[in-house]
Amino acid sequence: MSEELFKRTFKIQSRNFDRAGENSSEIKGILKGLNLDSEIIRRAVVVAFEAEMNVVMYARVGTLTFLITDEDIHIDVMDEGPGIPDIEQAMQEGFSTATDEMREMGFGFGMGLPNIRKHSDTLKIESQVGKGTALSASIRLNSNA
Amino acid sequence: MRDLTHSFKIDRDKCSGRLGCMRACPTQAIRVREGKAKLLSELCIDCGACLRVCPSGAISATTQSLKDVWKFKYKVAVPSAVLFGQFPVVITPAHIIEGLKSLGFDAVWIIGVETAMINQAIREYIGQWRGKFPLITSTCPVVVRLIQVAYPGMVDQLVHVEPPRELAGRELKRKYSEELGITKDQIAAIYVTSCQAKTISILEPAEEAKSDLDGAVSISDVYNGVLAGAHAYKENDLKTAMHEHLFSEEMFLWSTGEGQRRNLRDYRYMSLTGLANIIRVFDDIEKGKLRNIDFLECYACWGGCVNGNLTVDNLYVTRSKLHRIVSGLPDNKNLIEVAARIRYPRENLYAKAPIRPRSIKGDMGDLKERVRRVKEAEVVLGTLPGLNCGLCGAPNCKTLAKDIASGDAQKTECIFYSKDRLERLRSLYL
Repeated sequence: MSEELFKRTFKIQSRNFDRAGENSSEIKGILKGLNLDSEIIRRAVVVAFEAEMNVVMYARVGTLTFLITDEDIHIDVMDEGPGIPDIEQAMQEGFSTATDEMREMGFGFGMGLPNIRKHSDTLKIESQVGKGTALSASIRLNSNA
Repeated sequence: MRDLTHSFKIDRDKCSGRLGCMRACPTQAIRVREGKAKLLSELCIDCGACLRVCPSGAISATTQSLKDVWKFKYKVAVPSAVLFGQFPVVITPAHIIEGLKSLGFDAVWIIGVETAMINQAIREYIGQWRGKFPLITSTCPVVVRLIQVAYPGMVDQLVHVEPPRELAGRELKRKYSEELGITKDQIAAIYVTSCQAKTISILEPAEEAKSDLDGAVSISDVYNGVLAGAHAYKENDLKTAMHEHLFSEEMFLWSTGEGQRRNLRDYRYMSLTGLANIIRVFDDIEKGKLRNIDFLECYACWGGCVNGNLTVDNLYVTRSKLHRIVSGLPDNKNLIEVAARIRYPRENLYAKAPIRPRSIKGDMGDLKERVRRVKEAEVVLGTLPGLNCGLCGAPNCKTLAKDIASGDAQKTECIFYSKDRLERLRSLYL
């Protein structure tokens, strides 16, 4: 069993585009303070940012839990929102349900979930349409060693 | 760890501990202890922000004086394009070249051809690049060092092509050693620089290779001498000189922070100047927020090298003068192409060695210990006033908390926790 070393929970506010990404910036600060391998930090920050943006764009409200154990980094995001009807489809690059407004702001190019998968070592998504989505990603600390 | 040479010195005797440098430092590399500024060498990126704000003149740039240069048999000046925009408009580039020679330089090397070569190399590099985007220019030594220290995950994105000045240093030694029958060691290639960071990129290259230049003198140091020497020449004596030297529009564009705008016009290009702006954009790149950019041209000085801190004239005035010079340039595109083919039939334009992240002391220990320090720093920060007054000698409460957690500082350095500290400061400053 891996040992929990550091844990923090962040609230994510929906539609808050101007401050979007602040949680992932804070996570980056913590990881840099720990002097982890820069590639691991980069991957964790991309996962956190994409997961955060999905909540900002689609859900009503969400929380991001950031956990470091002696073996890996976990990023768990739970939201209350529309849910994802077809997760497999949503994982495909370029698949997007973003509105024109989101695209005009430069988001919603259908790279969010594929990017999370690409940058994490494990990824689990559970979703209930009309209720919300739970995403759980992890990055092994020694995966770049 | 090897002790790094930095681009400036803090004179302890002159330092009056006014905290300006500490507050201005973008990487929190300065602490003030006992009323004197102290540099944390491994965090310093040679940007010179401290130098600009020091009220006591205690911080001076590491440049070489002309005296250091004269030991060489044959001395060639390689002026930054910025130099040509520093003088009154009646002083033309040709005058400035004569002015440099009047100081004792045997020749002056204009980097027009080299800039064309490097532009082409950058185009080829980006065309063949299969790694992460955006690519980032490695011309500005401060940007390179910032990435080494604060964005180590991005070192591979630095364009692995050397700057024109390095190429020029190599070529001029080949040319003059052949022409004059002397060895390359007897020839000095001296960059005339707009900032101290380029001096340090020559004396202590980030990639830990040897520079092809032998040193640098600052624009501000040679200014008066060049001006005096230039005045001695009449316009008529200079006509040919201007054509002999291959100036190009591109070399002037480089110094205004937009050297690649035209060269990479078919790429998604961003020009980015000023350290604060760069840090903001790099943060966005790190979390994947900034996409759709292929190439970032970054210079730590706002407005580009024309705003370097060893320049004399104002950045906007310099830019306007360079614009004027460019409009008067002869059409020498073909000449530059021919010269490039003759000078560099087969030249390796890649940087001499890969750039690696800089290792920072004090981040060692096992993960548990590091987590303990981070947690402790957070707890300590919660007990500090959050005023960021700097009287503890750290630039802000957050940095003091980190220093305390790492054992480098005491909580009693905060005046809210120690009357003695306040008394000590009173005796130091009043």
